[in-house]
Amino acid sequence: MEEKLFTISQAAEYLRVSLNTLRRWDENGKLVAIKKEGGTHRYYRENDLEIFSSDLMKFASGWIQDGVEFPGTFYCPTSSIFNARLMKMQNTLMQKPGFEKLYSLIVLITGEIGDNSFAHNLGKWPDTAGIFFGYNLEKRIIVLADRGLGILETLRQVRPKLSNHVDAVRVAFTEFVSGRAPEKRGNGLKLVREVIMEWPIYLFYISGDAEVCMKGHNKIFRVTRGQRIVRGCFAKIEF
Amino acid sequence: MKLQLEKFGKTLISRELGSEAFKAFQPTLHKFSKNEELEIDFFGVLTLSPSWADEFLSPLLNQLGDKLILLSSDNLSVIATLRILQEVNTRLFRIKS
Repeated sequence: MEEKLFTISQAAEYLRVSLNTLRRWDENGKLVAIKKEGGTHRYYRENDLEIFSSDLMKFASGWIQDGVEFPGTFYCPTSSIFNARLMKMQNTLMQKPGFEKLYSLIVLITGEIGDNSFAHNLGKWPDTAGIFFGYNLEKRIIVLADRGLGILETLRQVRPKLSNHVDAVRVAFTEFVSGRAPEKRGNGLKLVREVIMEWPIYLFYISGDAEVCMKGHNKIFRVTRGQRIVRGCFAKIEF
Repeated sequence: MKLQLEKFGKTLISRELGSEAFKAFQPTLHKFSKNEELEIDFFGVLTLSPSWADEFLSPLLNQLGDKLILLSSDNLSVIATLRILQEVNTRLFRIKS
């Protein structure tokens, strides 16, 4: 049976990008189209689109570090869009065998990290507002990223003496302090840490050059200094 | 009075919506008699986050004190959220099984 091919318009709709973006990606080799013999029209295999759109880490890190475009299906420009997509993820996850109870903690962690991005950057987004939110429940991975101020700059508003990303991220995950004081805030990431310590959920989190990696059977919470500096915040949740 | 929390939604995540829910509930609360108790039922809530709950349950605890009663839930996010809110507020909720 002949494989079904998508036209460029169908592929654009599938990935939620413009036709011009697809043409540019074809020309620079990022997503190469198929051209039928002698023809000039671009076609795409469904599997190629699926694989392309499932490379969540690459899209998220490319966007926050270099502003590289990614399929619009992962973009949540507003908190309400994020919440709607989070509910959709929740509905699928709670049907997954083995996750009938655990789903609520995974949604809680995802929701807290995503909501933090919107709450702490409201009216202050340096350029693109909104977050990257992608997930693959088969591979048990969720990726969130934003091009916001990051933890250090946010917390400096209430802790001016904070001088580096590592200390700022440690404070964010361990102390009841808010970047929006005097509003009473700042419990979300503490609970994220506690839940991850207790349950089979894993977190890789970066802000600036500070990294948190809570993985494996003997998880510990430790903030280390990484090799790269990440704009805003980046989180990978695995379960 | 018993409040079914799911009337505010089954997925209670953002601070913004928690704050809105608290404001929306105030007119009902003003009709309360002095000694009336408020029971919060989590049945039907799929996920409760500490951000949402901190905007709704924490101020209710301040307003009502011991007259606020939470019905126990086996939802993991509810259990985890109530635990951290008690720590933040340095005050225990009355939880009824």
